[in-house]
Amino acid sequence: MYLTRFRINTARITARKVLSSPQTMHAAVMSSFASIPVQEDDGPRVLWRIDRNSRAETYLYIVSPTKPDLTHLVEQAGWPTTGKWQTYDYEPFLSRLSKGDEWAFRLTANPVHTARRNDTEPTKLTAHVGLQHQLRWLLQRQEAAGFRVVEKPGDRQLIPGTDVHEVIIRERRQLTFRKRGSSRPVTLATVTYDGKLEVTDPEALRRTLTRGLGRAKAYGCGLMTLAAA
Amino acid sequence: MSVLLLQLAGPLQAWGSSARFARRTTEPAPTKSGVIGLLAAALGRDRSHDPADLAALRFGVRVDQRGVPIRDYQTAHHFETGKSMPVSERFYLADAVFIAALEGPDDLIDELHQAVRRPTYLPYLGRRSCPPSRPLDLGIREDGDIEQALKREEWRASRWHQRRHREPTVRLETIIEATADDGPVDSIRDQPLSFDPTHRRYALRGIRHGYVEVSNPAAPQPSDHDPIAVLGGE
Repeated sequence: MYLTRFRINTARITARKVLSSPQTMHAAVMSSFASIPVQEDDGPRVLWRIDRNSRAETYLYIVSPTKPDLTHLVEQAGWPTTGKWQTYDYEPFLSRLSKGDEWAFRLTANPVHTARRNDTEPTKLTAHVGLQHQLRWLLQRQEAAGFRVVEKPGDRQLIPGTDVHEVIIRERRQLTFRKRGSSRPVTLATVTYDGKLEVTDPEALRRTLTRGLGRAKAYGCGLMTLAAA
Repeated sequence: MSVLLLQLAGPLQAWGSSARFARRTTEPAPTKSGVIGLLAAALGRDRSHDPADLAALRFGVRVDQRGVPIRDYQTAHHFETGKSMPVSERFYLADAVFIAALEGPDDLIDELHQAVRRPTYLPYLGRRSCPPSRPLDLGIREDGDIEQALKREEWRASRWHQRRHREPTVRLETIIEATADDGPVDSIRDQPLSFDPTHRRYALRGIRHGYVEVSNPAAPQPSDHDPIAVLGGE
């Protein structure tokens, strides 16, 4: 597996084009592989995420089974002579993960559930809108995903009993974009979590990091990265 | 010498120094006479009491949140007779936050601190209709003078105001009583000589405008999430 970082030159009009539509960005990411990695049901896949730290510091992160070639993105949305992308081998880090480790994490995800208004209706995929629900969505998945969100000490909880975990929702976006060949637009609610986790099952966490968490993985959701806690 | 710090925050404040008759203006920052009057009231003194001991304190102000000047066109009627009172204009500062500092002998500052914590007459921000919205008392600073106390104090502006300033530090205006070696300075007529309702008197007081830099707790923190740094070896 490889982890790639590419800095986007947000001043360029073509950069705004790829940033504004996850559909366009997905196409740009996928076209950076000469042969698109075969996607098995439970195998590693291409995941990407946009980190908007500030307007001048916007990164595209890609996790992929093979090395990408982002030349076309550099030409459209980067700095062709001074900026490039960096690809790092992800395997050594992934194999180093062990139970009990603490890491800071960031995850952009698409928290959804199925709902219906009455028993006769078919169920429908519905985005979680409230902060509490969006947080609960993550907490419900942590065990199977191989980690546990660290809990705050009691005196640091702003509302004791409610605000228990070391996680904040950093950014929430409501995306609407058109998909070619479809008359109706795609709508997507994305949430970026920033927090601290403890590894409980290294194997499951490796799977989470390379296969993604939640839905809409083609549209920049599901990629979790770890950093020093 | 020690310094007593007071936090002056409220929905409305009014600090007149040159207001006369039906037009009641306000200075952009608290006046010494206003704050000394507040302290004298907290001590339980009546208006005919000589304020000389309090007026001898050195006074300084820091503008933490500038506030918005607003004008009230007041048409009041007499409470008992129902006759209309003279139409007056009253000016206020809305949503302002100031820190007032008083420097003086330890025992007097200590006495004032006790009085602020247990005031005889309730304190108000320049005009009776302007109650404070936060506790006045910020405590005593025993090391250093007014300048140092105002420099070290954290930024007391409202959270929404701090968020509007995206820089990590902000420059806050200070208005501090001038000393003999300051040279030519501005002056304002707010040095109280007598609060006697029959004969209020104020003297000119030298003031020096300056600024201090304080850190902004609401500034956006640079993101430190760097998944590359932990990969190692590259």
